[in-house]
Amino acid sequence: MPAFLARAPAAPRDYAACSGCSLCLLVCPMWRGSHDPRLTPEALAKGLQSGATVRELAGPIEACSLCGACDPVCPERIDLSGLVLELRLRLANSSPPQTPQPAVMADLSARLQQAAGAAPAAGVVARSAPVLLPGPDLRADAALLARVQALLGLALFDDDGVDIALALELGVEIPQQRLHGFIDSLRGHTIVAADGLLLRQLRRWLPGSQRMGLGPALSTRAAVRSNLAASDLYVIEPRAFHGDYERMVGYYDRLQRETGCSLSLDLQRIAIPAASSGLAQKLGLAAGDDVQAKWMLKGRTPARIVVEGLADLAAFERVCDLPVVHLAELGEDPQMMQKFRHAFG
Amino acid sequence: MGRFGGYYSPLIATRTLLLKIPPVEPGTVGPCPVAPDALQGIKRQQTNPARWNGAGWQDFVAALRDAGVELAEGAAARGVYATDAGGTAYGMPHGVVIARSAGQISLLLKAAQTHRVPVTVRGGGLTTEGESVAFGGVLLDMSGMSRVLHIDAAALTVRTESGIYWHSLAEELRRENLDYLSAPLNLTSSVGGTLGVGGIDVNSARLGCSADQALSLQVVTPTGEIVECSDVENPELFQRVILGYGQFGIITEATLRVRPYTPLSMHYYYYSSLRTAIEDLQMLDRNDASDYSGILTIMDCAVNLLVAFDSDEREEAFQANWKSQLRGYGEFGFALCMAGHYALRPWKLREALYLLQRKREVFPEFRRPEYMREGKMHDRTVVFSRAVWKHWGSRQMVIPDLATSADKFIEAVERGNAVCRRFFAHYTLYCVGIKLRPDHRPHYEMSCVPPDAQGWAYGCEFEPMIEGGVYSRDHFQAFKNAIYDIGVDIGASYYRFGGMMKGYIRRVFGDALVDRHLAMKRRADPAMILNRDVIF
Repeated sequence: MPAFLARAPAAPRDYAACSGCSLCLLVCPMWRGSHDPRLTPEALAKGLQSGATVRELAGPIEACSLCGACDPVCPERIDLSGLVLELRLRLANSSPPQTPQPAVMADLSARLQQAAGAAPAAGVVARSAPVLLPGPDLRADAALLARVQALLGLALFDDDGVDIALALELGVEIPQQRLHGFIDSLRGHTIVAADGLLLRQLRRWLPGSQRMGLGPALSTRAAVRSNLAASDLYVIEPRAFHGDYERMVGYYDRLQRETGCSLSLDLQRIAIPAASSGLAQKLGLAAGDDVQAKWMLKGRTPARIVVEGLADLAAFERVCDLPVVHLAELGEDPQMMQKFRHAFG
Repeated sequence: MGRFGGYYSPLIATRTLLLKIPPVEPGTVGPCPVAPDALQGIKRQQTNPARWNGAGWQDFVAALRDAGVELAEGAAARGVYATDAGGTAYGMPHGVVIARSAGQISLLLKAAQTHRVPVTVRGGGLTTEGESVAFGGVLLDMSGMSRVLHIDAAALTVRTESGIYWHSLAEELRRENLDYLSAPLNLTSSVGGTLGVGGIDVNSARLGCSADQALSLQVVTPTGEIVECSDVENPELFQRVILGYGQFGIITEATLRVRPYTPLSMHYYYYSSLRTAIEDLQMLDRNDASDYSGILTIMDCAVNLLVAFDSDEREEAFQANWKSQLRGYGEFGFALCMAGHYALRPWKLREALYLLQRKREVFPEFRRPEYMREGKMHDRTVVFSRAVWKHWGSRQMVIPDLATSADKFIEAVERGNAVCRRFFAHYTLYCVGIKLRPDHRPHYEMSCVPPDAQGWAYGCEFEPMIEGGVYSRDHFQAFKNAIYDIGVDIGASYYRFGGMMKGYIRRVFGDALVDRHLAMKRRADPAMILNRDVIF
């Protein structure tokens, strides 16, 4: 495992430390889409500093896509996306709830309670074996999932924490028993997670563990890397990237030097999220917009777009006619084809 | 007559009479109550202006509503603007308008004139003296107007809305392999705000201040007219709005000169003498020996002269002709010098340790591999700005400055440095030259450019390191006063003479000039509502 997986994150600071530099605003997809300074991490921090209530700040709390771009640029090291997660929880529990709780939130609460009461599933993965947490999007695409597994040689983990990741995002309380059961089941494993938000939290919950995002896991494979071309636009999954920024920015810098591909980074070396969705989009209450994907392509003429996340794949397919492929689709080596013949039809 | 804040106070009137302080009409600059040669070194309190009393606010809100101008009055929206980057001036607007168009701003200003409601304009909010803090009235946030309207790659110009941050503009220009000419080394300075005050980059000694790159502007006047201006179209308005500290109109669009993007070859030279470093800086500027030059220090112990180039040809010419004339050391040579210096002065161990710690923290920021390609630095503003906010920024910042002609600069910096030593344990000095445009002399009137500067003006910022320390406002103010007194003494100007420092305006510019500008302001802004208390 590369050494960049071992360092602990710097201690985050509170919103009170915000000096109003606005660096977070520059990278914020909420801001880029609205040009409304009230829809920024800075507005949240400054609002809290001046005594605004969680309900008064519902706009930015709900609009945030949790891409985490604001975290690495904050010179005061404020855990801004952590702040949003906390405020979402408080907002959902405020009375009366700010957002009408649709069925998905109620169902999720019930599922979490159920999982908390259930006995841990009998593991099929050997203790300490590397495991893959594919997340809902990848799990829904059986062929691609098989290809990922073949490339990485990883077993699927039975409990991939989909309910926990969704609860974090929606501001649904996670029963302690459920959370601890999940964390305990992962102890000792090397983890590859497709869900960047879950990966970010696993850094905190399992500080000594070895973890990596799906993008770096795949792009370190020679079968994948060798198929990246200088004419490709490589779209980084932003949550995993920003959650481990100091190491990831170095990793992708090397990737770019070695392959020549262009990266979906802005001038601050922050990953622009192609598919940016706030709470309303997650809950299906509003349609997402493609402002970010369009911005990423402005003035660029790649021959192909290579994405790490399936949500980004859909976003680019909506806004351009260029070929868009998932990173795993680059790695069709003969050995994999042999082993996972069924997945390739 | 002692009318303050809309009510009559016999007590204040009596005290005013006894102290012989003439009453000051809101929205004007009164005579300084402290003589230039009095109270040297003694703390003199400068304060925020009185909060606007809110008279007629509801009628104004109704007028805005009728005009279709959205106004936010909630605590969360207003709280964002409680202070500026300085963090020492606190105020709260009655309401906030996010700028969306020149037409909307025109409606706002017309209503504000009618109802006599103050309008404070904010770009990046990077002022330090409360200039972008609203002490009541409306806060107009220009960042809502952040679109790039047109890039003409052939003519090397860009038309942009003025609320855009220079960094956002750079992001758009880069897609065309272009860059702006010069902008503050701060990602969140806004174009409009910068054009209103000057803007200094490390290439200003060659390309001038940021405001000088503006070719034309769209301005909404204080009475709500939307006017295009340039050196040839409405030149008087252009002269007053550029470097006008927001007194004569709101810049809503700007056409700027741009250039092809280039990465930089950076060279650093280290000095232990401010004087020697400044002499070398000015020698480079006079001889057009580099594309970028500036001085950044750790107190007066480690003085770093930064020299950089856009092209290999310019770098080679520097190496051949000028490098040997510089008296600074390379990093290793300077480290040896410092080791010798502190070995002979063991009582200065703490200072030596501080320098080492600072070097360890700050230097890697300027050499991050993701910004370096083949030995050249890309995106210098990102590198510098992130380093500045990370290692110099804090919730409170005071950055008094002195702007002088070339020949007075060394004295100004040395005297300012002595003041810094007296007030703070650690501090930084940032010095750059600014090439002046002779045809823009009228722009420079009553601005940071000192009237006696020829060819180049030089600016030095004196920035104490707060480092989590707690200082009283009085301490900060006494420090700023001590720096600004030097300016009065030697005939300098200042970049930050508005807001809390406006008490120095008459002393440094003289009554005749200030009164002439005040008369122009009264004609342009009859109700004196635009950026009240920043200058007037």
